[in-house]
Amino acid sequence: MKFFPLVFSLFMFILVSNMIGIIPYTFTVSSHLIVTAALALLVFFTVLVYGFYKNGLKFFKLFVPSGIPIYILPLIVFIEVLSFLSRPISHSVRLFANMLAGHITLKVFASFVSMLGAFGAVGWAGAILPLGLTVALTALELLVAFLQAYVFTILTCIYLNDAIHPGH
Amino acid sequence: MARGFRLSSELVAGVLVGCVIGWALDRWLGISPWGLIVFLLLGFAAGVLNVMRAAGVVSKPDGRI
Repeated sequence: MKFFPLVFSLFMFILVSNMIGIIPYTFTVSSHLIVTAALALLVFFTVLVYGFYKNGLKFFKLFVPSGIPIYILPLIVFIEVLSFLSRPISHSVRLFANMLAGHITLKVFASFVSMLGAFGAVGWAGAILPLGLTVALTALELLVAFLQAYVFTILTCIYLNDAIHPGH
Repeated sequence: MARGFRLSSELVAGVLVGCVIGWALDRWLGISPWGLIVFLLLGFAAGVLNVMRAAGVVSKPDGRI
């Protein structure tokens, strides 16, 4: 429960910045890599600092899984360290890519409507399909906006759990 | 789609981190291209490990690998 304020404010911030992007003429904050990278690095450094503060040098047990033969241990430790370092990248890119891809799809389909509308009556009839798709994609984007905020929060909890109980 | 994005970003992140570390080591130590080769392979292994963890194949950290 110690990290509840951090996790909850992360969730609310990401949810609101995802949801705001669905409203036309607004800017999606979380579709920019620097914003999500800053959030992921915040989580990463929280894990690092709190892990060392709470566990001291025992935090390094995170990189040494138990029950590994000694002759492949150095290799495994290298892989574990790289796996740990790759966390903030995958953590941030996931949210950024989902938001960016969703909004680009939405904008492309919405621009089909206006482009077809320029062809007169035939174009208007043809524009019904992309218009329907835009409506459907907006619903999908609502789902994705919520889901990605949830996924980011769950992964934050998993990483914080590593900081509190390393070597499990 | 969310699951696919999650798994692919895990793999790409592992390879990317290995690539950056290997490249930086090459720059600093002047051992090009060995740092890149070794750390790219290690990064690929880390990425596969990440994907397997994310997919729940080796979900329990005690029983991993």
